[in-house]
Amino acid sequence: MASDVTFGQYYPKKSFVHNLDPRVKLLALIAFIVLLFCSYNFYSLLLCAIVLFAAIGFAKLPLGSVFRSINAVIFILVITAILNVLFHSGDHPLYEYGVIHITVEGIIFTVFLCLRLLFLVMASAVLTLTTTPVALADGIESLLGFLKVVHFPVRELALVISIALRFIPTLMDEVNRIINAQKARGADFDTGNIFKRIKALIPVLIPLLVSAFMRASDLADAMDARCYSGADKRTRYKKLTFTWRDLVVTILFAALITGVVLFNIYGSQIWPEIYWVIQVR
Amino acid sequence: MEQVDTEDIIRFENVSYTYPGEDGVLAINKVSFSVRKGEFLSIIGHNGSGKSTLARLMNGLLEADEGKIYVLGEDMDDPKVHRKAPSHVGIVFQNPDNQQVASIVEDDVAFGPENLGIPREEIAERVDWALRAVDMERYREGTPSRLSGGQKQRIAVAGALALKPEVLILDESTAMLDPRGRKEVIDVVKRLNEEDSMTVILITHFMEEALLSDRTIVMNRGEIVLTGTPEEIFENGESLETFNLALPRITVIANRLRGEGMHISNLLHPEQLAAEITENMHEKGIFQGESSPVADKETVSSHEWDVDIKDLSYTYSSGKKNRNSPFATKALDGVTLHIDSGEFFGIIGHTGSGKSTIIQHLNALIKLPQADRKQKVPKPKRGMPAPVLPQITVGKFNLADKKCDFKALRAAVGMVFQYPEAQLFADTVFLDVAFGLKNFRKGISQEEIEEAVRASIEVVGLNYDEVAQKSPFDLSGGQRRRVAIAGVLVTRPHILVLDEPAAGLDPKGKQEIMDLLHKVHGEWCETIIIVSHDMDEIGDNCSHVAVISEGRVFACDTPARLFARLEELKSLGLDVPLTSKTAALLKKDGYIVHNDCSVDDFAAKVTEIYAGGTAWPVM
Repeated sequence: MASDVTFGQYYPKKSFVHNLDPRVKLLALIAFIVLLFCSYNFYSLLLCAIVLFAAIGFAKLPLGSVFRSINAVIFILVITAILNVLFHSGDHPLYEYGVIHITVEGIIFTVFLCLRLLFLVMASAVLTLTTTPVALADGIESLLGFLKVVHFPVRELALVISIALRFIPTLMDEVNRIINAQKARGADFDTGNIFKRIKALIPVLIPLLVSAFMRASDLADAMDARCYSGADKRTRYKKLTFTWRDLVVTILFAALITGVVLFNIYGSQIWPEIYWVIQVR
Repeated sequence: MEQVDTEDIIRFENVSYTYPGEDGVLAINKVSFSVRKGEFLSIIGHNGSGKSTLARLMNGLLEADEGKIYVLGEDMDDPKVHRKAPSHVGIVFQNPDNQQVASIVEDDVAFGPENLGIPREEIAERVDWALRAVDMERYREGTPSRLSGGQKQRIAVAGALALKPEVLILDESTAMLDPRGRKEVIDVVKRLNEEDSMTVILITHFMEEALLSDRTIVMNRGEIVLTGTPEEIFENGESLETFNLALPRITVIANRLRGEGMHISNLLHPEQLAAEITENMHEKGIFQGESSPVADKETVSSHEWDVDIKDLSYTYSSGKKNRNSPFATKALDGVTLHIDSGEFFGIIGHTGSGKSTIIQHLNALIKLPQADRKQKVPKPKRGMPAPVLPQITVGKFNLADKKCDFKALRAAVGMVFQYPEAQLFADTVFLDVAFGLKNFRKGISQEEIEEAVRASIEVVGLNYDEVAQKSPFDLSGGQRRRVAIAGVLVTRPHILVLDEPAAGLDPKGKQEIMDLLHKVHGEWCETIIIVSHDMDEIGDNCSHVAVISEGRVFACDTPARLFARLEELKSLGLDVPLTSKTAALLKKDGYIVHNDCSVDDFAAKVTEIYAGGTAWPVM
């Protein structure tokens, strides 16, 4: 039974976003994240949101698959939200008690921060859902290509990433199998204090390690048998090509950057009376 | 220097090889042979006979210590030739999970040509061709980890083909597959050999596979001991036994019948066997006959450890686990099954039919919804009949009860999973075997542990004094499996469940495991339940068999009655034991051989007709 990894699972589909050059997608994601953190008001953030949801739409991804990625950060999100609401200072207090002061600014800031984080995670999910790990590794390799000048093994690194991604589902299956086998021998993973539980994991971790080494040795043989001898002379099956789609996205992102900058500078003049509730400092 | 025959694509001359660190143990001992262009060669031999070493020498993964190896007429001692060898000799290994480099099928197939520095356009052509050759074009953008074992191996074949090799080696590539997957892979290489005249070297444990080849080499302790057509090799079944190989079942039957005075030649196919038996009967003037019925296997059962499953349905959580899976995952659909205390019970069915899901319910690794806080019990809806809740009882345990003592249940129902040696973890065999005991019986004294561990290590056929203090990782594969089984037996389970207990072993190892199970049956545990793909294994050993198909019980009966339904099983894509096949053929000739599907019983019943003839006249 092939179990899926919850993070970064490729969602096979033919779409505009799927067909983009992974380098463009990677750079776009980086640009998007930078913009998120450079947005100082909701105008800019709204612009980012529009781009994000447009990307999800054009990628033909079900919203659920994107939202599911949030699960991973929900804990951090809630903690940050609570701390910020309780302790952020501001000129419009709503409630104060000792060190706790809840302010209008605090609430606005919290909402803003949470949206930033959510958009960040969702945008990353769009990238990993629409890009195969291999393409991703190729993209990273190509973008880091300049490091070859200083003899950094970029291609090897890309291969390592790609193999690691390839074996995650296999090892997840293995973990489940071993856990079941040890449970059948009376192992108990669910009760006892933290030390007991960590100790209970030894019968899972050791077989997992042994099997990982065995797989590694098998894989090394398989790679040898297929003539792998370092990355130097390798050619590439998939060429990364910059197409009109990538051009469209590049222009779109140039527009997005301009938009965010403009909103940051001139946002206060659109509706000065309420600007204080739609900005963060 | 003698002239090198250009038709010899690979040639070994007095080649020897010793693995580093194994002083004096020759893995390959002065081996000479050659492989002809376009030939389909099979290599058989017990585990550790040197088959795989041979394969690795051929494509340069290993270098010979002594002797000469020629690939395409070129000497492998030449570093240039050696470096190029893997591109001439493609190899597919045993484990379907460990050979893919990339997470996308086509990228994986392209890996080899990329390494060879082939231009992009040609790589694309090769990938197209290779995927077409193994009939996997539809999956080119798929993920290997979501494919079946047979499909994964076909991808591995494509990966080797993309190198455009002259020779393709399958190094036990079918050993870990189910019969369906095995057929997929074998069909592919057979076609490559016939249509593209690819030279194929098939290393295998399965006689049926070796029979497809043009020539067979038998290896024993690093030496080639027999060479010939597969017919020649297997017809002289007796000699195989001296080389640590099991006799083919058909040879066993032929020998028995010969012992009873029948004239049976050396043969390979059930059709031949049936024809020769009929001939013998005719010669003796017996033109029809019926044997005595199958004796009921005594089931002196106290019913103390009966297993009763009612209306068991199970759907894999449709949550994140399978969110992208197009396959709806209803694993079980209304399974009702009763297993009497004292049975040797067999469960058969394809991979993914739900067999494993059923057995995982038996020791509550998967709990019933009523007994599991994490699962929702279906609530009755208005106007609808109340939903049927599954019920399972195992002996005195009611698995639908929240208060059921699941720990005691797991001690009572021992579970040996597929490739159980993968669960070994402790420093010594002793500690590993004792693991379950210490878990289930807290506060057990050291003397008691020692006694129980000694008994269970000995019952699986290992020498306690020899292995107890060794690391389990220093043992051979077969020994590790025994240790794993000992680790389950040590708690003296009443019911022992084994999923494919003999998978991946050589025929002799398989037989030893089945013998071991018969030894513990009755004495150590009341009931044995095995899940298996091997119909002969099931026919030989089981008192009852359940066929699971697409999450339902297709049939549950004695092997004799079940395997008589030859055609129905065939329509499910399942095979039947050799004895049933032959019996069905004999029935057409007028001889009704009632038998319990074991080789012994079959031979005895045929003899009975042959001797008496009219003792059981046909009504």
